[in-house]
Amino acid sequence: MSAQAEGMVVGLLRRTWAMTWKDVTVELRARERVNAMLFFAALVLFIFNFALGPDREKLREVAPGLLWLAFLFTGILGLGHSFQAERENECFEELLLTPGDRESIFFGKLAGNVLFMVTAEALILPLFGILYNLDIWAYLPSLALVAFLGTLGFSTLGTLLAAMTAHLRAREVMLPLLLFPLTVPVILGSVRATEGILAGGGLGEVSHWLKLLGGFDLIFLVVSPLVFEFVLEE
Amino acid sequence: MGSWGFIGLAYGVGSVALLLYLILLKRRLRGAQEELAALEGDGGRRTR
Amino acid sequence: MGERTVIASVPWAPEQGRAGARPSLAAKVLGAAAVLVLATGLYLGLVVVPPDAVQGEVQRIMYLHVPSIVTAYLAFFVVFCSSILYLWKRDLRFDAVAVSSAEIGVLLTGTTLATGSIWGKSTWGVWWTWDARLTLTAILFTIYVGYLMLRSFAEDPRAGARYGAVLAIIGFLDIPLNHMAVQWWRTLHQSSSILRPGGPSVASVMLVPLAINFAGLVLLCTCLLLERIRLERIRHRAAEARLKRGRRG
Repeated sequence: MSAQAEGMVVGLLRRTWAMTWKDVTVELRARERVNAMLFFAALVLFIFNFALGPDREKLREVAPGLLWLAFLFTGILGLGHSFQAERENECFEELLLTPGDRESIFFGKLAGNVLFMVTAEALILPLFGILYNLDIWAYLPSLALVAFLGTLGFSTLGTLLAAMTAHLRAREVMLPLLLFPLTVPVILGSVRATEGILAGGGLGEVSHWLKLLGGFDLIFLVVSPLVFEFVLEE
Repeated sequence: MGSWGFIGLAYGVGSVALLLYLILLKRRLRGAQEELAALEGDGGRRTR
Repeated sequence: MGERTVIASVPWAPEQGRAGARPSLAAKVLGAAAVLVLATGLYLGLVVVPPDAVQGEVQRIMYLHVPSIVTAYLAFFVVFCSSILYLWKRDLRFDAVAVSSAEIGVLLTGTTLATGSIWGKSTWGVWWTWDARLTLTAILFTIYVGYLMLRSFAEDPRAGARYGAVLAIIGFLDIPLNHMAVQWWRTLHQSSSILRPGGPSVASVMLVPLAINFAGLVLLCTCLLLERIRLERIRHRAAEARLKRGRRG
């Protein structure tokens, strides 16, 4: 790689890290995002139990779907907050003044969102295993891989759409309304893969779902930063 | 409902949807033209 | 990175008097042609062509259902292309094409959903099944209704155009991924062959009304598109007139 290209990549990484670090430190101080996400997820897991009744077998059948419902609702909650600080303090213009490309802003925000969502998932998963009596520890590496791929895909489009809806009327409704239909491949892929893994199938059996998740992630990791600049400008 | 009942329902729904869109479009066009005439008519007068 | 200038002028050629005040000749011709073609297609599909051996008469619903969804995909492809062109050239005419084509696409997709549901009721006795086709159509519908909502909720029309263009690009790229996901989901899970979404293969005589109706719908929707673009054009002129009044007043 030429020196110039190398310099550009380093610059991109450094600016991305700066953006992520800013979001993380803000969260560490206020702790409102992850707290809200965790509480909501616990609530969801509990309520599903009441809604679906005491039949153990039925619950085990739908468990992967329930897990991902908890992940996704929690994720949406977190995504809704991701541009909150900028919107409230009207820092959008300041974001644009920071030297550097829009791509690093996008990746920085994305990394922060993925970090928060994965943190929440890491805490939700054991709770889920306990409440629904599932042996998640045996399959942890595979489950983690699926969770990461799904979270990445969901957060990629989620970050883009969160930036778009931050300014809108009825934005709490618009973000899920726009994001969920677009992320159906992620939802289906993640739930089916999780289902296959918990049934003891192993990664080989669910490889086509993993490929779908990987393909989705790749396509939108490339396209989203490219169109992100059109979302930020004004 | 017999076979032809369902067929009639399907084509009926399609036609109604289309007609409604057309009618609403015409109405929107009329409204926009009136608004434009008001804006441009007034504006024209003011420059005199 | 270049500066993006704020577009304050109306993109259409300087309009005098009544330009754009009446439907264009093209729209009228297309409309008339559409009526003729669709009448032919309907006659062939409902009267001339024999009923399907397996499904009976209700199969005739396909002569509306299938051309409807194919034309919808065409409309959304137009939205995709004009969105890219808008973001590239910043000519509001491309945006006018995008929003107009999206509205028509939503209309067509809604019709597809309704006719698909009715056909399902007549064949399987239920208004809704989560089979691949209906599910995919429902997702498509939701994505582009979301597009229209996004545009209308934006704080100013130019932001709405920008956001819409981005969403349209993402949405269209998403369609093949949705197809794969939903089809794998149904085929890998479907235990009963009665609910197989494929249906019987199409006999060659049945392709005729399908093709004719498709052509008719394309003609009709192009006519509607031209009229809807004309509406945008009038709205743009009104916006410019309002701007001018603001400056003067």
